[in-house]
Order: sequence, then structure tokens, then C-alpha cells
Amino acid sequence: MADLNDGDGEFPRSHARFAALSVIAVLIFGALAGRLFQLQVLDGARYAARAVAVRTLEVSVRSPRGLVFDREGRLLAANTPAWTLEATLADLPADPSARAWVLFRASRVVGVDMSVLTERLQAFKGSPYELVPLLHGLSREAALTIGEMGEQLPGVTVAVEAVREYFDEDGAVDGTLLSHLVGYTGRVDATEFAELAARGYLPDDVIGRDGVESSMESVLRGTYGRQLLERDASGRTVKVVKTLAEPIAGKNLMLTIDARMQRVASDSLLWGMQASGVKQGVTVVMNPQTGEILAMVSLPAYDNNKFAVGISQDEFAAYLADPGRPLRNHAISDIYPPGSTFKVVTALGALEEGVTTTTQRWPTYGCYQIPDAPEGQCLSDWNNQGFGPLNLVEAFARSSDTFFYQMAIKLGLDRFGSWAQQLGFGERTGINLPGEAKGIVISREWAQAQGRPDVFTGELAQAGIGQNVIAVTPLQLLNAYAALANGGTLLRPTVVRGEADDSGALVRPYTAEPIRTLSASAADLQAIRIGARDVITTGHAYNIRDLRLPGALSGKTGTAEFGSAPSGDALPFHSWFVAWLPSVPGATDAQLEVLTFTYSAVARGNVSLEVVKYFLQQWYGLDQDLRLDPTDLSRVAAN
Amino acid sequence: MGTVTATFVETVRGRIWRSFDRQLFLYVALLISFGLVLGYSANYGVSGTPGTLSQTVKTVIWAAIGLTGFFVAASIDYHWLSTFTGPIYLAVLGLLVLTMLIGTHLFGAQMSISVAGLDFQSSEIAKVLMIVVLASYLHRRRERIGRLSTIVGAGLVMVIPTFLVYRQPDLGTALVFVAVLVGMLFLSGASIGWMALLGGAAIALAPLAIGAMHAYQRQRLFCFLDPNADPQGACYQLLQALNAVGSGGLLGQGLTAGRQNQLGYLPVQSTDFIFTVAGEELGFVGCAILLGLFALLTWRIVSIAWHARDSFGMLIAVGLASMILFQVLVNVGMVTGIMPVTGIPLPFVTYGGSSLVSLLFGMGILESVRMHTEKPTF
Repeated sequence: MADLNDGDGEFPRSHARFAALSVIAVLIFGALAGRLFQLQVLDGARYAARAVAVRTLEVSVRSPRGLVFDREGRLLAANTPAWTLEATLADLPADPSARAWVLFRASRVVGVDMSVLTERLQAFKGSPYELVPLLHGLSREAALTIGEMGEQLPGVTVAVEAVREYFDEDGAVDGTLLSHLVGYTGRVDATEFAELAARGYLPDDVIGRDGVESSMESVLRGTYGRQLLERDASGRTVKVVKTLAEPIAGKNLMLTIDARMQRVASDSLLWGMQASGVKQGVTVVMNPQTGEILAMVSLPAYDNNKFAVGISQDEFAAYLADPGRPLRNHAISDIYPPGSTFKVVTALGALEEGVTTTTQRWPTYGCYQIPDAPEGQCLSDWNNQGFGPLNLVEAFARSSDTFFYQMAIKLGLDRFGSWAQQLGFGERTGINLPGEAKGIVISREWAQAQGRPDVFTGELAQAGIGQNVIAVTPLQLLNAYAALANGGTLLRPTVVRGEADDSGALVRPYTAEPIRTLSASAADLQAIRIGARDVITTGHAYNIRDLRLPGALSGKTGTAEFGSAPSGDALPFHSWFVAWLPSVPGATDAQLEVLTFTYSAVARGNVSLEVVKYFLQQWYGLDQDLRLDPTDLSRVAAN
Repeated sequence: MGTVTATFVETVRGRIWRSFDRQLFLYVALLISFGLVLGYSANYGVSGTPGTLSQTVKTVIWAAIGLTGFFVAASIDYHWLSTFTGPIYLAVLGLLVLTMLIGTHLFGAQMSISVAGLDFQSSEIAKVLMIVVLASYLHRRRERIGRLSTIVGAGLVMVIPTFLVYRQPDLGTALVFVAVLVGMLFLSGASIGWMALLGGAAIALAPLAIGAMHAYQRQRLFCFLDPNADPQGACYQLLQALNAVGSGGLLGQGLTAGRQNQLGYLPVQSTDFIFTVAGEELGFVGCAILLGLFALLTWRIVSIAWHARDSFGMLIAVGLASMILFQVLVNVGMVTGIMPVTGIPLPFVTYGGSSLVSLLFGMGILESVRMHTEKPTF
């Protein structure tokens, strides 16, 4: 080491090599500085934009769904908080047994089998940072417990969202009174989402499924807002960078329905069905001046509150298995033979086409021989005797079948069909409810579809009394009679009165344009209305005339036999009764029209007539009870 | 040993401290401060585990230890080191072998060993010590410096520790060893012809080395050629780093205000990618100041090398200059996308106790070289 300490400092020291080192150093610093200048100063904005794009995400902000009120401002549908159990894969323990333990504990709190949670988690295909909904509709207690457990359940969280809650006329939570009208909301499924995504729906969004929730979806839903969120590298939202569009709340709707009347209609129909053992029934009440539906009951009904929180498999299966088909609104979605109530079409057609006058008398028969048919092929009148010679008004009042066979045959298929169409049969009324059926009206096309050139004369005759190849929805029939009751305007039935404020006051009324004005003379319509008044007063509808109502009740009964007799003595039949209440006989000022339909009664009375009677008694607060036992044949002669 | 004692006494009495390089110390201090600030920002908002020290406090402690080492090294006549280069060399090899055997895994590599709770990254210590060993070897060969045997000999000295580091696997540090070897050979006066020939042969063998790499190393290595090749995978870190540096613009987003940094988009911000924090939060101006400090430091070290009294001192300085220059080039080049992604820390700035202590020890030796530039007067 001595040589080091005593060194004289003279050793080869290359200027050139030091210079080279210096040059290399200068080049390195120069290159790095140049590259930084390029990245930061020249291209800085581009990289900044890219960085923003990586860490920000545009998301939707849900808009509150509009409320639903009845015509008196009673709240029928509102939003209420609900809790959803969610998990984030990235935050769950990676170790399988630790993860299972977390899920097990969570499943115990929310009270489901652990497999329910693991299956949902396994089915999820998205980013591990995304929230996976595991279970909807947690109880408030379970939600709070999960929240408190916090750190013990890494990766498991509870989200709050708004779900629908439905009420009855008293504001009690009741999802059966108005379920077919108000409907419910349900989650968008994967196939629907593919279609709905373009319209701003989210993967786990809700959408209206029935009633006005479905038909008025776009109004109730509002417009979702857009927000720009900043997320950290693990995908958690750090802050809202900016709101691109504020959500626009859905509009509140006021229905034309009177929930109290709905209750009366529902109670009276339920009584009639129970008394007669009927499994399906419909009552619809309408203002025949405006087309506003005041009540629409389809029984059996379902509970829309069960759907709002997510119905269980078992409950849903029970609904599907019910022969009364509670999920369908029978008032608009199902079609039935209208029976004698359809005679309004035959009567109006015969008058307008000059087949008969209001005073011309025609013979009636116990059994009417069909022209062109072999001798002996006849169609009976309902009393199997006939009524002697009748004019049209009398025939309508007594509901003579053989009279209207003749009218239908004289009218011919085309003119009969066109009057059925004028009164709205065979086409949808266009009511703002989903799932409306069109019905069937006899036609040449129908016959050709059966492989025949034309309909049989007997078929046409039967169509004239609403049997055989005629099928209508209860709403179509009600609406046709409304045109009769109001003097000739076929209205567009509606269940939505307009938009309301949060207190349930109407702020923007909707107007529904009538479908058409009938090309029928006022006198002819008046004559049929008189006939309908006579249905009540002549006792054909038995004792309903004794109700002390504030007006001259007019109406028409109908029965339609079908199927085979269960015990040999009588066929099961549908019964109909439609009635309206003008101030005086024949007047066009009725404000209330009611129709009841009961499906497949083996009772001998007209169940529907008794139901309407009971409804009117209750709605007008009468201190009378003229109800008959609908199973008692001896006291009833109604067709 | 008498002269050593005398020198030490001289040192304590402060005569030779008059030539202490204050600028070198200043630049080092500023760089450490830079690292402290950037490290603080990188960990801003990250809540530490209660009861443990924050990274900033740890860095201060390491800097204190390092400064003690710095002054001890500065106080000692660097010539003294050459008396036990053999034991140093063996210690380096022992440390690296020990790391291979009992090292703790860090980012998939066995890079550190834990002693009394403190992690030592043996390769960081090895770098500085190998510079001393190599300087001593080349100094002893100064009469035969132009011969091929010098180059081969120096290569043999370096090959074992380089291989051990490479096997950790720590490709970056292995490359630093190579850079240091080349830099020191070049300035020692070794034959440029032979160096070029051997260098060419080494480059020709490079594909073999690349082929022997782990797949993840290879992928990361080539990201800089096309960062969009695998934007979610191997090149994700590089893309995020480029976005961060680029979005700093001219003046930066402000300390602790860099969104990429604060939201965790930057990979291992406080270590190898610390420069991205400077880029995003301090902008081009801040980066230029940081690079400027490195440039000034390099200038001081080269100047010390130039003025060194003998080739041992000169070569220590050249080795340290080569090391710092290479690490700055590769580290900053990596985060700016012009160099492959290798795990090389930014000297003084990247958080790491062993690195900081080793570097400060190296700077202390430099001060010793500087202060012993003049022939001691007795």
C-alpha cells in the first residue's frame, strides 16, 4: 500500500477519453431532456387526455320514477328504498376457503342458502372491480347488519335503490286492488337489455311490466342523467368530476280510476263470483261521455307488490298454475263470446241499412228454420217458444234470438261485419294499457281460413246474437255500448287522466281523441236506447228496476253457452250485463256505465246482473239490497 | 498503519477539509430532498399501518445513517480501502450468495435479505463495493493497462457478481455492473480495439441472453418499442407511466395533485417509477431541474476523477459516474418510453435504504478522493 500513498499522481490520463465521457454524459442528459420536452410540452395535451380517459368513466344517474295517483289524488304507486346485497370480486378474499367463509356469513345474515350467493357470483362475467348484485330485496335489518359487519365481510356491500310500492284506496300497502291497471316494474333481462341499451337502459335496470307502468314507461321513467366519475386504479369511484346531464325525474301520472269505486266494484264482483262458484270475472266502469275508465277489475288479481321486490319462483308458479289466470287482465287481454249483448250490432246495422224500421213487426219462432238449409235445421229462440210478432225495440228488450237471426241474415255478411267494425269490434280500442286483444268478427276470410268459400248462413245468424264466430273483450263491448249511450261517438277508452304534481293534483290533462263518430241516425240510436231501458223496466232483468237510482238505468244482458254440461241439465255459460244511467229514458247524458262479465257459470241466474246490482247499491249508497241468489234458477229468466 | 493513523489525525484536525467538495454534497443533498418530497407525494393519501413508520420518516432515518457513512468514508483516506479489496470482494460474493439462499421475495425476485427487520438489497451494496474492487484491480494493472489480459481480468472479476445478481433475477443491476465495467475500462486506458472486439462479441451473444430470460422479463423489456402491443398486460405500467409523465405538461399538476399518481395508476410509484411522479406533478420544469441536478452531480464526479491524484481514485470516481449516469439514463428512459422496462432505481431519489446508504458511502469515498487530490504535506 505504500506505493499508493506515496504515488506522485503521475499516471496516464487520457484527455480524449475524458472528453468522450463528457460528450456521452451531455448526450444522455440532452436526449432525456429532449424526450421529456416531447412528451410533456409537445404531446402533453394528448397524454393528459389519454390519462383522463383511462381513469374516468361516464355513468348514468337514475331519475326518480314518476308517482301514480287515482283521479281523486290518492297515491297508488310510490318509490321506496330497498336494499341489495352486492359483492366485488376484487375485494373478496382470494383464498377459496376465506371467500367461502365471507359468503357463508353474509348468507346467514340475509337468510338465504349460501349457494344462492355463490351461483350469482359465478355467473358474473364482468370486471372484478364491478359490483355484482347477489340478492335483491334485503330486509332493512339485514342491510344494517351487513353494513355494521363491514370489515368482517371484505368485498360484500349493501346498495340502496328505489323500488315500487303499491297502495289501495285507503293508502294501505295492497298490491291486489289495482295490479292490472297500475302494473309493476321488473328487472330488464339480458335479451331485453340488448335492445334497450340504446335507449339508455342499464344492465340491471327496471322497466314497467304491466298496466300503466308498462304503457306509460317513457313518461314515468324520466330521463337518466350522465355523470363523469373519476376512479382509482382498483376501480373505486373517487369523485364526481362533473355532471354532464342532470337526471330529469319521471312525470307523475293521475289515472282516470277512482280507487274507491275500484274497491266497490272489486268487492261486488268477488261476492258474485263466490256466490256462484265462478273462477274469472270482470267489472269495468266507464264515463261514456269521455271514455275515462273509472274502475277496471279483473279477478282473480295478482299482487304487484310481490313483483316489485322480485317474486319468488314458487309464488310465480302458483300464479301460472291458477286456472283463473290472475296474471292476465281479462277485461282487455282475453276474448269471449258476447252473447245477446252483441245484438246491439245487429240492431243498429238492420236499422241503418234499411233492413227494418223501428216499428216494423217481424215474426219470431220457437225454432227458426235457416234459409237454404235442409228442412228441420232450425235455430231456437232462448225461450224455445218465440214471442209472436215483435218490432226491433221490443225484440231488443225481450232479447229474441229468432228476431235477430232474421236481421243478421237480411243484413248479409259484409254489412254485418262492417257494423261490427264501426262499433269497434275486431280492432283494439287503443286504451293505454298493454296486452289488448283484437277479438274475432265473423268474415269471409275467416271461412276461407277454414277451407270454405263462405260462411254458412247459420253461422251468420248465430253471429247476429253474439254466438259462434264472434269473440270480444269486455272493454270492446263496454265501449260499443258507450257509443250507444252517448249518442253515437265511439270513444278512445283511457286510464290516464294526465300528469300530476307531487301532491296528486292534476297539472297537465291528457285528451283522448274519439275513435270515430258512428254513421248512424240519432233516432235509430234513440230507439235502441229505449229498447235498452225496456230491458230493465219490462222485468227481463228482473228486479233491478226497483233500485232507487238517480237516473233511468238502461242496459242489456247476455249469456253465451259453451262447452258441455257438467251434470246434464245445463251448459256452463258466460254471463254479461252492461248498463248505463242516463237522467231520463233514452237520454244521452249518462255519466256512468258499468259492465260485468263472469266466466263459465254453472249457476242458472245471470251472475253478472247480480254483481252490477250489488255494485250500484253500494256505489250509490242505497239502503236496498235486492240481490238474488245467482244459483236460483226459478226466480231468474235472463238471456 | 502509521500513515493511516496520521492521515486520520489530519482529517480530524480539519486541514484537508478545506478541499471538501461542497457542491457535490449540495447536489446530493438536493437530490435526496427531491426524493423525499416525491416519495411523500407518492404515498400521500395512502394510510399506513398504525405503529409503523411512514416512508418519509424511514427515508430520513436511512439518510442519517447514509450521511454518517458518508462522513466516515470522507474522513478515511480512500487508499486505505485498496488494502483489503480481497476481503471486500469475498464479502460481496458472500452477500450475493446469501441473498440467493435466504433472500425474501420482492416483486418476484430475491433481492433482499432481512437483518433485524431491515431489508438489505445486497445488489445495491455490491455495486459500490465492486467499483472499489475493480478500481483497485485496474490501478494495480496500470503498467499493463493496454493489454488484453487487463480486459479479460477485469471481466473475470465482474462476471461472478454480475451473474449472481442476474440470477436473482435482477437484470437491471446486472446491466449496471456491465456499464460500470465498460466505463471504468474505457477511462482506465484499456485498449479500445480489444474492448470493441469483445463488446461486439458480447452484443452478438445478447439474443442468447434474451432467450434465456423469464417470459415476463422479456415482455416488459420490449414494451417500449410498442407500448400498445399489450395495453392491459405487460405494457400497462409503461402506458400509465407515459400518460402520467405526459399529462404533467410544462409546469405539472402540483405536488400531491397528480391524479394518476394519487389514484394508484402508477406502478410501484415510490420505487422504480418515482420519476413519473415528478413528471406528472412537477411537469417539464421540475423534471428539467431534477435532470439538471444529476448533470451537475455527474460534472462534479467527473471533475473529481480528472483531478484525482492517482488512477485508483480516478477509477472509483469514474465507476460511480458511470453507475449514476447509466441508472439515470435507463430509469428516466424507461418511464419516458425510450428504454426497456428494467428494475433500475433512480439514484438518491428512489426510495430504498440500502441504495441510499451505499450511494452516500460512495459519495463519501469521492470526497476522500477529492480531499486527497493534493499531495499531503507533512
